[in-house]
Amino acid sequence: MNAQLIINGIVNASLIAPPAIAFSLLFGILRFPNFAIGGYITVGAFIAYSLNVGTGLPLWIAGLGAMAGTAVVAWLSDVLVFRPMRGHTPVTLLVVSIALTLVLEHIVRLIYSADVRGFDLPLQRPVKFASMHITHEQINIILMAVAIAVAVHLMLSFTRIGKAMRATADNQTLAEVRGINTTHVIALTWFVCGALFGLTGVFAGLDLVIEPLVGWNLTIPIFAAAILGGIGSPYGAMLGALLVGLAEELTVLVLPSSYKVGVGFLIIAILLLIRPQGLFGRSEIKK
Amino acid sequence: MTEGLLNVTKVSAGYGRGDIVHNVDLNVKAKRVATIIGPNGAGKSTMIKTIAGVLCRRKGSIRIGKTEIGGMPASEIARCGVAYVPQEANVFRQLSVVENLQMGSWTAPAEFFERLERVYTLFPVLKERAKIPAGNLSGGQRQMVAFGMALMVEPKVLLLDEPSAGLSPAMVEQMFDTITRVNKTGIAVLMVEQNAVQALRISDHGYVMAAGRVAMSAPADELLKSKDVSELYLGTRQ
Repeated sequence: MNAQLIINGIVNASLIAPPAIAFSLLFGILRFPNFAIGGYITVGAFIAYSLNVGTGLPLWIAGLGAMAGTAVVAWLSDVLVFRPMRGHTPVTLLVVSIALTLVLEHIVRLIYSADVRGFDLPLQRPVKFASMHITHEQINIILMAVAIAVAVHLMLSFTRIGKAMRATADNQTLAEVRGINTTHVIALTWFVCGALFGLTGVFAGLDLVIEPLVGWNLTIPIFAAAILGGIGSPYGAMLGALLVGLAEELTVLVLPSSYKVGVGFLIIAILLLIRPQGLFGRSEIKK
Repeated sequence: MTEGLLNVTKVSAGYGRGDIVHNVDLNVKAKRVATIIGPNGAGKSTMIKTIAGVLCRRKGSIRIGKTEIGGMPASEIARCGVAYVPQEANVFRQLSVVENLQMGSWTAPAEFFERLERVYTLFPVLKERAKIPAGNLSGGQRQMVAFGMALMVEPKVLLLDEPSAGLSPAMVEQMFDTITRVNKTGIAVLMVEQNAVQALRISDHGYVMAAGRVAMSAPADELLKSKDVSELYLGTRQ
């Protein structure tokens, strides 16, 4: 039974890790926590739903469509909302991002209503081993999350554009002075992160249900994972996601499962009190 | 005024509403060193930032050879052969030393290894520290990374904002030495310095700025000998 909880925790972590990485990357260049991530994830889930159920495309194509569509939505949110507001305080931008998530969520609600939906998938028996269950979708989510973590690591460490992203996050003026077109680098970061949020929408639709609040419900654990790892540090976000994912599931041992959502809040509260820079963050990062 | 490599003509620039520098004329000839001295708040740093494109010039012309760079974004100016080293925050703290240097050759990735060898020859310690994040280095070594990164650009003009600020006296000596060595490889230098005497000693030309204007422009040795300048700005009496 406890081994099953660990499996659930790993699935949960795999759901949280990609958006936590994206949240961290965005924080690195924007210097404010962008809470519109819930909106992006919801948009991604519903794009995938429309393509999958509406037009009958296989889910993997619908998933790619959701990644592309959400990437564009995220980039547009920068062009239309955040770029005109650059230079305002992080707190102002944070409030604006919460407003944006409400706007996106309500646009989705207007089009699709608040009904709970699911993807059109053939029913498959879960894989069983030693009395533990895991569905094929969950296995895919775990494999994809690992692949994304590796891909992001390789991109940031070894590619020219990845290093430019880190340089821009580190010191935008200096990056510009060395000939890096930081406007392009920032736009690309938005696209990459938007695609990750879109993919999260698909994962959430697979593992949970598709409804307008699906993104909002994931926001707190994602934020907790990102700050646990040290906000702005993508590697920390990966480990943070694993810890939050496991913690949420394992508290079921001692608390009713309806308190699961509180775990993220608790982690945030404890961290802000004892180690605000996160496990791997630098104390120089101030919010 | 004779044509130089870097020509600044009647430039005004500033932050917010007001201008900080007014009608400034400067020029740096190819392969020469020029220094701007003057009291705090005279607009020296503002001037050098304006040339680098970090701050947009409001009036006037800035040219490298025949190319007008005034009004270009900083990333374009870098491609015209200008390498600016800010006084502070002049390295990517979270990037390793070698990654910092790689950002220096961003505009010419094919020449990275060749240029890297040259920078390592000039600063051998950077080769030992190649894998360490620049933010973990000592102040002096960080300054070498900043300098090395600018040299990776293989610029025509190096713009230095207070290169000796925050360094120990021994390191200051070494820094001016390095500037001379770099200049000997054919790179023109324009710097802003508080250590005015030492800076002027290695310079060909000097400018004195006060209240946002060029108050005096003369060969460096003349400025060093001038009684007014030494009393007002060099802190020495003769």
